[in-house]
Amino acid sequence: MVAIDANEVSKRYGTLQAVDRVDLTVEEGETFGFLGPNGAGKSTFINMLLDFVKPSHGSVSLFGNDCQGEGVAARSRIGVLPEGYSTFDRLTGRQHVEYAIRSKAADDDPIDVLDRVGIREAADRKASGYSKGMAQRLVLGMALVGEPDLLLLDEPTTGLDPNGAAEIREILREENERGATVFFSSHILEQVEAVCDRVAILQDGELVALDTIEGLRETMGGGTKLVITLDRLEDGTLETIWAVEGVDTAVATEESTVEITCTNDAKMDVIVALHEAGLDVLNFRTEEASLEDMFVEYTGAGR
Amino acid sequence: MSWTVLARQDGRLTVGAKSVKYLLALLVAVVMLGAYVYPLFGTEPITTARFSGFVVGWLATLLPLIGVLIGYNAVVSERESGALLLSLSLPHSRGDVILGKFLGRAGVLAAAIVVAMIGAGALVVYPFGELELPRSLAFVGLTVVFGMIWTGIGVASSLVVATKRRALVVAFGVFFLFVFAWETAADALETGLNSAGILDGELPGAVEFLVAMEPGAVYTRLVTSVDPGGSLEGAWYLGWDVSLVAFVCWATIPMGLAYLRFAGSDLP
Repeated sequence: MVAIDANEVSKRYGTLQAVDRVDLTVEEGETFGFLGPNGAGKSTFINMLLDFVKPSHGSVSLFGNDCQGEGVAARSRIGVLPEGYSTFDRLTGRQHVEYAIRSKAADDDPIDVLDRVGIREAADRKASGYSKGMAQRLVLGMALVGEPDLLLLDEPTTGLDPNGAAEIREILREENERGATVFFSSHILEQVEAVCDRVAILQDGELVALDTIEGLRETMGGGTKLVITLDRLEDGTLETIWAVEGVDTAVATEESTVEITCTNDAKMDVIVALHEAGLDVLNFRTEEASLEDMFVEYTGAGR
Repeated sequence: MSWTVLARQDGRLTVGAKSVKYLLALLVAVVMLGAYVYPLFGTEPITTARFSGFVVGWLATLLPLIGVLIGYNAVVSERESGALLLSLSLPHSRGDVILGKFLGRAGVLAAAIVVAMIGAGALVVYPFGELELPRSLAFVGLTVVFGMIWTGIGVASSLVVATKRRALVVAFGVFFLFVFAWETAADALETGLNSAGILDGELPGAVEFLVAMEPGAVYTRLVTSVDPGGSLEGAWYLGWDVSLVAFVCWATIPMGLAYLRFAGSDLP
């Protein structure tokens, strides 16, 4: 069964096209990463799934229930961590979870839930005094209530340190193993790379890539990354490299080190071009391209 | 039902707020004070039903104030902070959220009204008064609905704007318009037109009708109709039946219109 189905969905705010004809299907059981730089339209897309925002065109559905027409049914099997939420002023952490339990007619134990997300000791404190990271854990806990079939998480690791982010990823992995579909957005790429079966990349409201991570590597022409150390870096060196056919990105990382993603065939051409430009290659190695490199390519962030 | 969860939650939070406690205590104190002085200043016979005519004027001013103050931040403060998104991420519809908020708050006010009336009834009956149960129950019922109308106007203000400050302005605007300005403006208009020689006597029927449809005027007429000492006279629309229809309209239409606007709006 299909967990998320977006059908040519668009959202326009005045003259701003926040989401532009996005066509997307997420199958049940997948862990799906939704990537893009800030402002690409990721949250607008998720907000349409939650019916916070109405699409200008097209439609979205969760488990076959239209998110606008049958919103309650669409949200009945999901756990959500939305963007831009705040906790309830006068409720404790435990009361937040109890509210989620009553709302979903579930029978979880609030303390077990809080224990799982690591804030058991704060259960009886008012959530308004929580740090951003604790609030994030609390709302994730509310999302986990009732064993949802789909977790819909907007930037779940915001406000968490690397250890906290790793804990969250571990929870997502457990939930996926239990059979839940996991859909989360992020602009932090290594996290997505570590846990996702498939990723979509959104840029200026448009879906610019939708594939498995391996698939993305292949479409990148072998997915080779060259790390070249030169004797010096001149103005125009990067332009020289970009001019070589088959080069996707070239980024100067350190003083005289350049990272290049290119097709396999272009590797030697790059070395030759640098040599002809009068630069000495001191060292070079090749790596498998990471998602970070692909992301730079797709969103043009490196140029 | 989804809204029962929300109503319970919101009712509990509403009672927990200090400002609400003060407002409700004020209501109880005023009604009890009325019941304490009524046997001293009221005319014979002293009964709980005739007490309604004695306090209706106080309630027609106080309940609108308490109602809008309890209602105006029902949705908008959570909308501003983002806590509303947590409720709407759960399997609740926007209609459920609004109904829950409204019933939670109106319920708290209704409970305070009932408590105040029971206390007042005891003060009236003891030592010389008389309990007239059916008419007194009708009076309590009308007062509860009047409280709901103004809580509803407050909640409706909360739904049509995006910030708490604006909701307060809208709610207080409606409160001042109906409670203080409405009749005064009509009187001033009548006096002015008469002295200018444009009008001889009363305002045209359509204007008089509008004046009479103000919620407090409707409430006062309905209470008068259950008060053994009161009587309703005048144009056809001043009877209890038309007033009852107007009362029901006030209880449903503002919330209904605000819901329609809120249901179709984008949230963040």
